[in-house]
Amino acid sequence: MEVFIQTLINGLLLGGIYAAVGIGLSMIFGIVRLVNLAHGDLMILSSYLILVITGSFGLNPYLSLAAVIPVMFIIGFIIQKYILNRVLGMGMEPPLIVAFGLSIILQNTLLLVFSPDAQSLETPLSIKSIPITETLSIPAIYFVGFLVGVAVILALQLFFQFTYLGRAIRAASDDDEAAQLMGINTGTTYAVAMGIAMITAAIAGALIGTTFTFFPHTGPTYLIISFGVVIIGGAGSMIGTLVGGFILGLAQLVGSHFFGSGYQLLFGYLILFIVLVIRPQGIFGRKERAA
Amino acid sequence: MKSHQGWRLVLIAILVGALLSLPLWASRYVVLIFLLFGLHLAMAQMWNLLAGYTGLISLGQQIFIGLGGYSLAVLTVYYQLPIWLSILIGGGVCVLFAVIISFPIFRMSGVYFAIGSWIVAESLMIWFSNWDYAKKGMGFFIKAAYGVSLNQIYYSAILMGIGSVVLVFLLLRSKLGLSLMAMRDDEGASEGIGINAYRSKLACFLIAAFVTGITSGILYLNQVFIQPYNAFGIEWTVRLCFIVIIGGIGTIEGPIIGALIFVLLQQFFAEYASISLILLGVVSVLVMLAMPKGIIGTVQDKLAFEFLSPRRS
Repeated sequence: MEVFIQTLINGLLLGGIYAAVGIGLSMIFGIVRLVNLAHGDLMILSSYLILVITGSFGLNPYLSLAAVIPVMFIIGFIIQKYILNRVLGMGMEPPLIVAFGLSIILQNTLLLVFSPDAQSLETPLSIKSIPITETLSIPAIYFVGFLVGVAVILALQLFFQFTYLGRAIRAASDDDEAAQLMGINTGTTYAVAMGIAMITAAIAGALIGTTFTFFPHTGPTYLIISFGVVIIGGAGSMIGTLVGGFILGLAQLVGSHFFGSGYQLLFGYLILFIVLVIRPQGIFGRKERAA
Repeated sequence: MKSHQGWRLVLIAILVGALLSLPLWASRYVVLIFLLFGLHLAMAQMWNLLAGYTGLISLGQQIFIGLGGYSLAVLTVYYQLPIWLSILIGGGVCVLFAVIISFPIFRMSGVYFAIGSWIVAESLMIWFSNWDYAKKGMGFFIKAAYGVSLNQIYYSAILMGIGSVVLVFLLLRSKLGLSLMAMRDDEGASEGIGINAYRSKLACFLIAAFVTGITSGILYLNQVFIQPYNAFGIEWTVRLCFIVIIGGIGTIEGPIIGALIFVLLQQFFAEYASISLILLGVVSVLVMLAMPKGIIGTVQDKLAFEFLSPRRS
């Protein structure tokens, strides 16, 4: 019983991390109506950037993140402005395929530069845990991940509700043409949105890198996890993303609790698949226009 | 028009003749390259049928590559069935599996279909790598494949390649093809005139499953070794997608040119696998930005001429 409760706690905490992983995909899916198939790889790219800075300056991974955030914002901005924007409105296939192409380029460039070896970001937190009772404890690294994940989502929620830029992004998403008439440059707005999504990817990259090992081909696994979070939570819904993360994290760990860790991912996929079949627009999503 | 027709037939005859007589005059290395060409052409042509004509972007074609390969492995290793029978049964297994998953995944459309099919493939990968019967992650060594000569594999690969082109050509000229094109132009209106979109899409999905499954059996006859991470990997769909995009999506000739470019590129960069993939990625992004219709589509627009037109003249 205690072990099971521990599983539930870990699952919930993992869910917070997953929400941070998925929020960038959700934003872009909701705002630009684009499925960024390179999201997972961009996140892993951030993990590697943090690794490089941590290694060469001896900084703490969380401090290195401060340097990686602006870099990822610029990368996101450029990718959206000069590549993805050009294929928007050409139907469904071109943006999907361009993003897929970017994903392959990133993965293999990482492979070329960093070799296929598994890497991880070392922090003093990795081995610590916070005891609750004699047998139950909270792994510190999961707890930090959870707090950061929740904080990222709350910050985004406030950003979209109360800032001019946040509203402009939502306006561009609601009605591209009307927003342009109101003097909003929707192309640039989308690019800024992607930049912000990449900031969340950088943070998620730090969380994943400090919690798990990663290698150049891990990106797609996290893409599917993000997609799971988005599907369960509904595209563009901040709170939905958080709940989606919890459900996915719990499903994975409860599944692995009963059937062995080999099946951990499978249970996440199963839940995701069921939601896809029953409610393709997600539990929290509004009925979308035909995408 | 008449002279066009004759010229076209002569060219097709020369190409097919060259492919068929290849083992007689070319080196073993060249035969091997064109063997891979035939297999990739067949699988890419099926992806093209789905993505280019049916609007189903499947990121899960590796489902059928894995199932086709594993059917061959299991049937020949555990049950000592004849190789070619095992490959055919593999095609059947793929169709059966496609029918089963069609119920859930045909409820999804567009992006959701793409991701849904990918999730099925990833789930199969995890399932097979934990399944005792399929020897878990270790995979199978398909010993029976050593009883087949390179020429036999070559001719079956070329048969699949040419066969897939002929199949799609005939399919598009059939009533199903007309329905597909009507659906592609306007799905709502096409249903209004009595086309059952669901059935037309399902038919294509099942045909693609069957052909891909059989092609994969031949592929693993050549590879001899199968394990889940390779067989159910997304890399397969990446390849098919690039072949079709570079050649020209929604054209019959596109996958032919694309498969040729892909196979040559792969050989050229054989020692630097990641560079060849980066290059493929860059080329396909550039093609999408600069000429989204691919090589064949762009040439067709410029010359206003289709080599293998699905239109009935």
